[in-house]
Amino acid sequence: MNRQNKGSLTEKQMGYLLIFPALLIILVIAIWPVMRSFWISLHDIRLNDPTKTEIHSSYGLDMERYVSTLPNLLRYVKKEAETAEGATKERLDAVRQQIEQMHAALSQTGEIASRYEAIDQLLLEFKPVPAELKYVTLSAEQTETIRTTLATAESTLLELGAQKQLSKPEGAVGVVSGIKSSIIEPNYVGFTYYKQFLTDNRMWAALYNTFFFTVISVAIELVLGLGIALLINRPFRGRGLVRATVLIPWAIPTVISAMMWKFLYDGQNGIVAHLFEATGLVSDMGVLLSTKAGAMFSVILADVWKTTPFMALLIFAGLQTIPQSLYEAASVDGASRLQQFFRITLPMLKSTILVALLFRTLDAFRVFDLIYALTGGGPANSTETISIYAYKTMFAQMSFGEGSALAVIVFLCVALISIGYVKILGADLLGEGNRR
Amino acid sequence: MQKSAGPLFYIGLLLFVFVVMFPFLWILLAALKPPGELFGERAFHFIIQNPTLDNFIRVFTERPFATYLWNSTVVATLTTLYSITIASFAAYAIAWLSFRGKTIILGVVLAVSMFPQIATISPIFMFMQSMGLTNSYLGLIIPYTTFALPLAIWNLTIYFRKIPSDLGEAAKVDGASVWQTMTKVFFPLAMPGVFTTAILVFIAAWNEFLFALTLNTQEAMKTVPVGIVMFQGMYTIPWGEISAASIIVTVPLVVMVLIFQRRIISGLTSGAVKE
Repeated sequence: MNRQNKGSLTEKQMGYLLIFPALLIILVIAIWPVMRSFWISLHDIRLNDPTKTEIHSSYGLDMERYVSTLPNLLRYVKKEAETAEGATKERLDAVRQQIEQMHAALSQTGEIASRYEAIDQLLLEFKPVPAELKYVTLSAEQTETIRTTLATAESTLLELGAQKQLSKPEGAVGVVSGIKSSIIEPNYVGFTYYKQFLTDNRMWAALYNTFFFTVISVAIELVLGLGIALLINRPFRGRGLVRATVLIPWAIPTVISAMMWKFLYDGQNGIVAHLFEATGLVSDMGVLLSTKAGAMFSVILADVWKTTPFMALLIFAGLQTIPQSLYEAASVDGASRLQQFFRITLPMLKSTILVALLFRTLDAFRVFDLIYALTGGGPANSTETISIYAYKTMFAQMSFGEGSALAVIVFLCVALISIGYVKILGADLLGEGNRR
Repeated sequence: MQKSAGPLFYIGLLLFVFVVMFPFLWILLAALKPPGELFGERAFHFIIQNPTLDNFIRVFTERPFATYLWNSTVVATLTTLYSITIASFAAYAIAWLSFRGKTIILGVVLAVSMFPQIATISPIFMFMQSMGLTNSYLGLIIPYTTFALPLAIWNLTIYFRKIPSDLGEAAKVDGASVWQTMTKVFFPLAMPGVFTTAILVFIAAWNEFLFALTLNTQEAMKTVPVGIVMFQGMYTIPWGEISAASIIVTVPLVVMVLIFQRRIISGLTSGAVKE
């Protein structure tokens, strides 16, 4: 053993070293985002609201916004004061002084003053403001000062505007709300979204749709897949052709197969819709994509077409591992084909079927591509699954906190389903891990 | 259960193949039809009176389909290369080396492969946006790891276990270091498995939709699946072009499936079936 170099690693160390990059990447790119999703779901994050694009744990000031809006407000008040007279002029000057005092009070914190300078310079030069300069934390007291000052300023300006004392009353609201939006509030909302979804009919409908879609399509796929596997589990010519045939739906990108089916289902020119109408399956070609039941049926049929091959392949592979001798012995004992199927085939296939079901159930539960491209969740949300709802909340309404809460609900459901299957499957799934 | 197949069986089989292939064949017809035959009274005819390649040409001339194809190719290839490399080391360690905690590691890998993408999208999107990585290749390759790496590790581990471990022992007795055993003895034997896994990862990356839809929104950075879905306008859906584009994407996949069907099937089923 001395032939090993002194510096070389033991097998164990080498093992950990080789596995480390993969584990690190999985941790950073898969596990961390899931935890982060949960954390985001506890915050009111809206990508279309500049004060809420990130998680803010305390009060703060968006310095970039503050620097660019404060002069506007001061300039506006000053200008109005120049043209005003008497009491109005005094009130406007008072407002300006209050705002200046507020700024002076803020500037006592050296950090705010120095950043103000720096950002002002950057803005003058039309340069982007780096993120580390942008936000400062404010104390509750400072926040209160800014708020009351701005509230007084706003009410005074609005009042004067209403009395027709201002030359440009329409500008008042803009300049005040501009600077108001630089105040950042902590956007932690706790479990608000989860509570909200508990009573949200749309969420329950989406959850129901998801379960309905999953159970029905996986059940059909299992029965068909088993049938196909049994059918082709015999020697015949052209096996290669059949194998390739069943692989094609699997290999096509889901969204593309969804687009294909959308064309086939089309209410005016869809051949499948036409065939269904001709055979009396539907009363009208339009039924398939424009009614609730029709749309759900269409989605399930497209999914069955796309994924039955996968099921059939798995079960077929399982069938081939059943020793022929079992069937021979059973025939000798006089067992019928049906008895053979229930006493030999099914029990021997149990773990294969369960694994196939596990993969398919989880895939179906996460369904997104197919429905996004085929129905978009419609009509009237009748095919909206929980993933689609989460996507719409995040990317159509830009409400990331709320959408993340839905995403976490998807995750929890998936976790529960997997735990259920793993309980049934036991160590079978990972059992091989102990082989060596 | 072994019964030789009769004519009825073959008729049934042909019917089955026809039903499975039907959507694909119909889309092929739609791609070759001129607009006049795509809609209206000839919409349901199998025979095209004036077949045309216009749709195929328009996909490339009037839409940036070539760009989409290039983007998909780059992203899927790089994702495959990088995840297979990292996964090979991990799978080798899990399958051939002895150390503790393997079952847990495999459990984590399997669990991660079941993560719903939607549950990771919000932090990944926010991160990519803040780093300026949206609309870039890297911005897609990184999140693609979430499914590519677990898939690769899982499949490779199963393949690597099938390689007789005696070979490793023999190399060790002959004085080979762990590194030498890995590179000289193991990898040559493992290449078929690596290749099969690479096909599966490539197809998965090529077909990915949600990340591509949300992260790469610029026309110049879209991948094929997103690009084709976005062909449809507000009020009209250019079915001819969509069909042509679908055919262009599907044909290479079909060819790949025809060539590598045995490998793909063994790759797909090896996790579920014990041999």
